[in-house]
Formats: sequence, C-alpha cells, structure tokens
Amino acid sequence: MNHRAPLAWLLGLSLLAWAGSAAADVATALHNMFTLPADTSAINSKAVAMFIGFVLVSLGITFWAAKRTKSTADFYTAGGKIGGFQNGLAICGDWCSSAALMGVAALIYSNGFDGLIYSVVPFGAWPLMMFLLADRLRNLGKYTLADIVSLRMARVPVRTLVSSASLAFVIGYLIVQMVGAGTLISNLFGLHYEMAQVIIGALIVVYVAFGGMIATTYVQLIKAVLLLSGASFIVFLVLQKFGFSMNGLYQAAVDNSPLKTGVMQPGTLLPDPVNAISCGVMLIFGGAAMPHVLMRFFTVPDAKEARRSVAWAASLIGYFYLLTFFIGYGAIAFVMKNPEFLDAKGAIIGGPNMAAIHLAKAMGGDLLLGFISAVAFATIVAVVAGLTIAGASAISHDIYANMLRHGQATDAEVVKVSRIAALGLGVLGIVLGIAFKGQNIAYLIVLPFTISSTVFFPVLFLSMYWRRLTTTGMVTGGWIGLASAIVMLVVGPTIWKDIMGNPEALFPYKYPALFSMSIAFVTMIVVSLLDKSDRAKAELASFDDQFVRSQTGLGAEGAAQH
Amino acid sequence: MQHLYRLIHANPRFHELERKRSRLSWTLASIVMANIVWYIIATAFFPKNAETTGLLADIARFWGQPVADGAATTWGIYIGLVQVVGFIGLVVFYINKANGELDALKDAVIADAMRAAGDQK
Repeated sequence: MNHRAPLAWLLGLSLLAWAGSAAADVATALHNMFTLPADTSAINSKAVAMFIGFVLVSLGITFWAAKRTKSTADFYTAGGKIGGFQNGLAICGDWCSSAALMGVAALIYSNGFDGLIYSVVPFGAWPLMMFLLADRLRNLGKYTLADIVSLRMARVPVRTLVSSASLAFVIGYLIVQMVGAGTLISNLFGLHYEMAQVIIGALIVVYVAFGGMIATTYVQLIKAVLLLSGASFIVFLVLQKFGFSMNGLYQAAVDNSPLKTGVMQPGTLLPDPVNAISCGVMLIFGGAAMPHVLMRFFTVPDAKEARRSVAWAASLIGYFYLLTFFIGYGAIAFVMKNPEFLDAKGAIIGGPNMAAIHLAKAMGGDLLLGFISAVAFATIVAVVAGLTIAGASAISHDIYANMLRHGQATDAEVVKVSRIAALGLGVLGIVLGIAFKGQNIAYLIVLPFTISSTVFFPVLFLSMYWRRLTTTGMVTGGWIGLASAIVMLVVGPTIWKDIMGNPEALFPYKYPALFSMSIAFVTMIVVSLLDKSDRAKAELASFDDQFVRSQTGLGAEGAAQH
Repeated sequence: MQHLYRLIHANPRFHELERKRSRLSWTLASIVMANIVWYIIATAFFPKNAETTGLLADIARFWGQPVADGAATTWGIYIGLVQVVGFIGLVVFYINKANGELDALKDAVIADAMRAAGDQK
C-alpha cells in the first residue's frame, strides 16, 4: 500500500490512490473537512485569531484587487505596474516557503552545520539570477517562461515541453506544501488535517481566481513582512539570552547536541561527495529557474525595475537566511533538553520540523507561539497562491491561448480559463493533500528542484546565450532530461528502496540533478549542432534580433507605453 | 522594430555595451560560483577522521576548526555569514553599475538608432 501513492503520482494517477482507499476513509475525510474536532480544548485560540486576522485582511485586498483585474495582463502580471521594492518583498514571500523557516531549522536541529547548505547554496542562486538572467528575462518575457523560449523557436513543441514541466513542477511543489500545511495545522491549531486542506484550497482559489496577480502579490508582501519580523524577533530573544554573544549560543548548542562539536562542522548530512555535489547543483541551478519566482520579473515595468526588485529580494532573502544561522542552533539550545517539548522517549514532539515552532514558545510563550503559527500558515498559503498562479498561467496562456487557440482567443476568454484553472488547481491541491496524508513526502521536494535545474535552467540559459540552439535540440534535450530525472528519482534510494521496499536501489544517488542536468545540456547542444533543417537556419538567423532586444529592452512587452 | 534591431546591431557602441555588461556579469558570477563550490567542497569532502589527508580534505577541514582556542564557533559559520552578506554586496554593486553607467550607454545606443532611422526616412 505504502509504495502505491508516489508511483501513482508519477503516473498522474494519484486520484486512484485516493479513490482506491476504503469508502469509510473517504467518509471520514469528508466529515473531517467540515467539522471541528470533538475535543475543541486543543484548538489554539490565539493562533487561530491571528490567522483569521490575516485572512480578513487578505480577503479585503482580494476584493479590492478583483475590481482592478480585467485583462490577461492584469491577471498574470498585475499589468506590469508593481514597483521594485514591493515586487522584491513579494518575491521574498514567494521564495521563503515554510521549508526555509521550519525545514532549515529542522535540519540544523538534527544534523548541525550541514543544514545551512539549504540556506547558503540556494541563496547563491540570487546573485546568479541578477547577473545572468534578470535583465534578459524582463526584456524578452511576457507572462510565462514559455514566452521567452518561444520567441525564436517553434511555438507548439516548445510550449508543450515548458508548460508540461511547469505543471509537474507546480503539482510536485503543491503536494509538499499542502501535506506540510495539514500536518502543521493539525499540530498547531488543533484542527483536523482535512479541514486545513479545505481552508488553504479555498483561500487560494479566492485569491487567484478573483484577485489574480495583484491579490497574490499583496498576500505575499504581507506574509513576507510577517515572516521577517517574526523570525527577527525570535533571533533577538535567543541572542538576548546570551547577552548577544554568538559564541555563547553556539557553545550552548555544542553542550546540548549529541553531535557535540560535530554540530558546528560540515559533513554529517549528505552520505558521499557525489550526492553532496548533485544536491548543490540542484539547489543553485534549480533555485535560479523556478517558474513561479521568475514570473514575478514580468510584473515590473522594465529591466531597471526588474533589477531593483531582484536587489530588494536578494537583500531580504539574504537577511532571512542570516537569521537561519541562529534559529536552528537556538532550537538546539532551548528545545533539545527542555522536557516541555519532548515526548516520553526524549524525542522532539511533532518531529524536528517543529523545532522552530517550539523555539518560539520557549522564547515568547503562547503569544509568540500563536504568532509564529499564524505566520507559518500564512507562509504556506502565500506560496501555494504563487504556485497556483504559475500553474494557471501555464494552462490558460501556454496551453489554451497559444496551443489550442493559436493566439486567437479573446482576453475575456483567456481570463475565464485562468480562473477555471485556478479553481481546478485548488481542488487538485485538496485532493492530493488528502491522498498523501501521512506519507513521507520529503522526497517530493527533490522533484520540483530537479525539474527546474534539468529543464528550465538549460532551456532558458541556452536560448538566451547560445546562438546555435534550435527547437529540435531544445525539445529533445528537455524531454530526455526530464525523463532521465524522473527515472533516476524513481529507481533511486528514496523511492525504490525506502518507499517500495526493494533491497537495493538501481540508481545509487538520492539527488539526480547533476546527471539529469548534464544529460539535458549535452543533448540540447549535440542535437542542435546536428540540426541542419531550414527551421534551424531561420532560428539561427533570428538570434541577433532577440539579442538586441534582450540587451536594450527595445520592443519588450509593456515597456514602452508612450 | 526589426529595422531598429539591425541598426543597433551594426553600431559599435552596442558591442561596447555588450562587452562591458558581459565582463561585469561573468566576473561577478564566477566569484559567486567559486564560493558555492568552496561551500560544496566543505560539505562533500569534510574528513570523517583526523588521519584523512589530501587537498580537498584540508580545504574542508578548515571549515570545522574553531575560530579561537576554546571557542565553539567554527570558521564555517563565519564563512557562511560572510558569503551571504557578500552576495548581497555583489548584487548591490551590480545594480549600481547596471542602472547607472550601462543603462546610460544603452539609452545612447537606442538614441543613435532612432536618429539613424529618422535620417533614412
């Protein structure tokens, strides 16, 4: 039974896994979706009250934004009218998922220093995006990644590849967020897991379907402010306990951790050099090409504002990552030996993912716990909203408007399809969230990052930097890379051995990105060089025009409105 | 539009812009990549026991060393903190260059092309 869900998911058949479980389970799930638990004393009223406050404000913004969302440009990119600073905050909101707060803290709590690899290495993606991608993306892009790539390539094959990969990325990331949210909320708020799914799903549909990119932007903006201030406050309280001595904090961590001085040293998390390198490749190149983040580059008027938003985003995200240097170790210092947060066996209640949350309680009591719980919930809601709008735009703009209607659909029709797509993704999120309840979903985080580094990064990089890239080369390399990534993940240690229970994995590494990204790059380059078709010649000839546009912004979408 | 693109592409100042921008971008990107590689080496090759020798192990071992005798804080923590702050610094350095000098050159290149297009008409 246990091995069925991930396989089914990979085949796009996860609905079966859900429908296949006993009818009684379905009835319980339906019941839990809409009722409070029998024991309402477990409900954390402070956290719920603060979260309701966030919901009311965000719904008010959605109402306001809905009146301003009329055209497709409004829906996908807020009309390209967001300022650099706001956009930077919103990007920070998109980027810092609950994994960045709770996941990094959990890894440091269990593995010490190596947990920071999930802070520093993905952060390296930001300067790279700034130096190599931001200007060109803004100057060439319109609504989605596929727009950039299809500028000088054949529309249908390129959009098929990029939109399929985008949907796989969005759905994989969505499951991680939904399952994480359900677990978190049943732990923190004392509500049913299923009800948490319904709340998130419903909020997302309202934000995205009615408020489009404008509402999504403001939800992310508020969430970023809440997250940054909450995390700052925890770090302030932690350091205050040590008279603001960094070494005092780390000494306490060394004293408490079973790793002793090892908690301050690298080398504990990743089993061997190949896995470590592959994981690093996945984090930096995957991080630099995530569709829901890059899409935000199109919400500003020009390349100058795009650079400003990246500079703000990088500063805020960097500041947040600096805080992670203290939160995880703070949890070792104040949670690891505190009986209040440990079960009978001495293990942390709720698992290491709760380390940051317990730390909030240890530092600031019930009020700070409630605040951080509400922030964590808001964080998930905002990230899921960003993913949903990226998925909805892949469906309505790439698949519906460009592939099915060949650019002949009216604005109103496309916006309507976007709204239906947002509704569909919301429902899918609820269904998959419930289907994957209780599964170990950590491996699913690897999937979107691997797709991003294997498909989006090579496709974007080569189409902007390499004259000789052709449609055939890009599409062949993209599909082969994607297929190899999925196969290596399925037959790798996590799924093949741990989940499906086979004695030995067919592919020895947990992180296939190093291999799948190389396969994608090499295939794209070799096939493009061998491509002597007339289409390839035309594509080669049009590179110079695209190049001038990418450098100057002349002819960029929404840039010159005079 | 295509006509303007051709005019710009024929302008030597456009290639000056492109050269300056790519030199700046690639220099800064290499600094970042070198830091990331350094970080990954530390994680991947940190010696599991004291006897391990070799260049990579020595690079990695440094990360686990205390910053002073008896201190709990290791060099790795400081390197990580400085890397994050340094990356922000590089981004700020780039944006000043790109939004100042490079954008001025870009505007001049576009103005050249507009003027040339006007003359031809």
